[in-house]
Amino acid sequence: MLHTSALPDSLVADRGATTRTEIARIRTALLAARNPDGGWAYARGKASRLEPTSWALLALAREAGREPDVSVLRKWHMEDGWLSDVSGVAPNHAFNALAALTLLENGSTTAQAYALATSLVASKGVRGDQVSELRQDNSLQGWSWIDDTFSWVEPTAWSLLVLKKLRSRGTDLPGMNERIDEGERMLLDRACGIGGWNYGNSNVYGQELWPYVPTTALGLLAMQDRRDHPIMTKSLQQLQRDVRAERSTLAIALAIICLRVYGIVPDPLVDDLLENSRTPGREAGSADDILGLAMALHALVGGASTSFTW
Amino acid sequence: MKGVPTELSPYRLSRRAFIAGLTLPLAGAACAPSPYDRTAFSIPDRSAVGLFPAANYSVDFADLIIRGFRELGVNLAGRRVFLKPNMVEYEPGTAINTHANVVVGAAIACRRAGAAEVVVGEGPGHRRDIEYLLATTGLGEHLRDERIRFVDLNLDDVRLVRLKSWYTGLSELALPVELLRSDFVISMPKLKTHHWAGMTCSMKNLFGTVPGAVYGWPKNFLHMHGIPNSIVDLTATIRPQFAIVDAVTAMEGDGPIMGRPRELGFVAMGSDLVAVDATCARVIGLDPAKLEYLESASRFFGLIDAARIGHRGEAPGRYATRFDVVPALRHLWFPR
Repeated sequence: MLHTSALPDSLVADRGATTRTEIARIRTALLAARNPDGGWAYARGKASRLEPTSWALLALAREAGREPDVSVLRKWHMEDGWLSDVSGVAPNHAFNALAALTLLENGSTTAQAYALATSLVASKGVRGDQVSELRQDNSLQGWSWIDDTFSWVEPTAWSLLVLKKLRSRGTDLPGMNERIDEGERMLLDRACGIGGWNYGNSNVYGQELWPYVPTTALGLLAMQDRRDHPIMTKSLQQLQRDVRAERSTLAIALAIICLRVYGIVPDPLVDDLLENSRTPGREAGSADDILGLAMALHALVGGASTSFTW
Repeated sequence: MKGVPTELSPYRLSRRAFIAGLTLPLAGAACAPSPYDRTAFSIPDRSAVGLFPAANYSVDFADLIIRGFRELGVNLAGRRVFLKPNMVEYEPGTAINTHANVVVGAAIACRRAGAAEVVVGEGPGHRRDIEYLLATTGLGEHLRDERIRFVDLNLDDVRLVRLKSWYTGLSELALPVELLRSDFVISMPKLKTHHWAGMTCSMKNLFGTVPGAVYGWPKNFLHMHGIPNSIVDLTATIRPQFAIVDAVTAMEGDGPIMGRPRELGFVAMGSDLVAVDATCARVIGLDPAKLEYLESASRFFGLIDAARIGHRGEAPGRYATRFDVVPALRHLWFPR
């Protein structure tokens, strides 16, 4: 049974009945893919993981127009103050930041989100020596994926999103503003010459490296309060060019989410995403790509974004 | 490219520093420290490497690889085979990834050879967008046509595995369960120069088995522990049973991403991955004894000595050339 009638018109934005039906189908598929422990895996039949669980909770909450039910995150396995996917392995800072953003969407779990944010403030990628092969400032310390590694774009973007969201709410954790400042400088430093970001190196051995849509979208989301900066202007243009060639669910969904935050209504991309999600046998965006399902739902539902909510 | 050169990392453990600080694997040991489990490895007396001609990507790779299996004595009857190609980035006109025709040809060959199951899997180290990579490389469509399952190793469930060598100083690593449940792993790299490691071939290709959703993109966790160290520990632990190297169009210069395509025209195969990589290194003009990971691996589980490596198919001399490398790695060349 599809629950199209339950969808508030305000959340469906300008899309028509086809969109509503597709949103309902994806919602149904996402709910059916939920593991008995309340979380979501990357693929059906696998263990629940922090990233798809957070995305699914956010997408379903946005679609329903209510706070996410974060009970699964409340009881998530923790190690050394971090949410842990794999016991005995260093915590993943990017996905802890994403989980913190999810927890912040529920009024009852802000304390848990603050605790994670405090850990993020204390976390830094290792400082590297300056080397001629890499055209970047290795002294800048954003966030690493895991402890004792260098700073990269995705964990830095997610961490900035959490800390900036807290700041926008008037929260001031000790050291938070300094970390935001350094994280921003690191992202600006790692932007590709033509704009946008890849995983985090822009020039190696004198060769310009190319940006990717998903990381560019995340970088722009993290820098949404710096949108007048020339690098953001260039990156936004690059994102809109590159998404014509990067046709995956991940790329299109993140591009839609990002462009909406920047006030651009991406109707053609929504059509592309709908087409993707209806194409049988795709590697992503199907029931076996649960992260893609959640991102697609989030992107299709749309709706207004508040500060650092996307 | 990508990643941070371990040589430049203040956190890199040199082999000497590692051995001096080694504690865990040496508990109870009275003799000199060994960076590997001496009881788990032996060096073969001789190894065989096959070089089979493939002028371009329109040849029948299933037939070619079946020939390789036959000449190299590979028995796949009833085995659960895992094919691990190299897929990192996509850019038209480049030679970054193992060609889809080689991968699918290998999968068909494995089925014809009696494999009970064939799965293809990769965990790209730069782009985490596997749908994009499968679509742009054409591999996704080929695999669908042949009904071959693909697993994104970056996102698979993982299990902590005890390492069988400890050049990195690590004792265990999380690895994908789909890889671990197979009983015949075939490493399927693209032959490329590598601006940090010198060369990437069947052993370096195993970086793609390390899950990004655990360790991140790029696989900087491995860089921090030394690229050569990580190559050795991964290969010693996973112990792929076979390698099929796409050297039809290889890459020279600033590999593994930004280098230039270079036509070589063969597929290399063999059960001793050290010998396969050593042979490929010689073909492209690099001295395997100067490639740190090969020199280390040759101490306990494979051969780099040309006199002990027999050849099937074509003689390596037929393809011998010299690949350009970044200036910092020209010491790896054989003297002219």
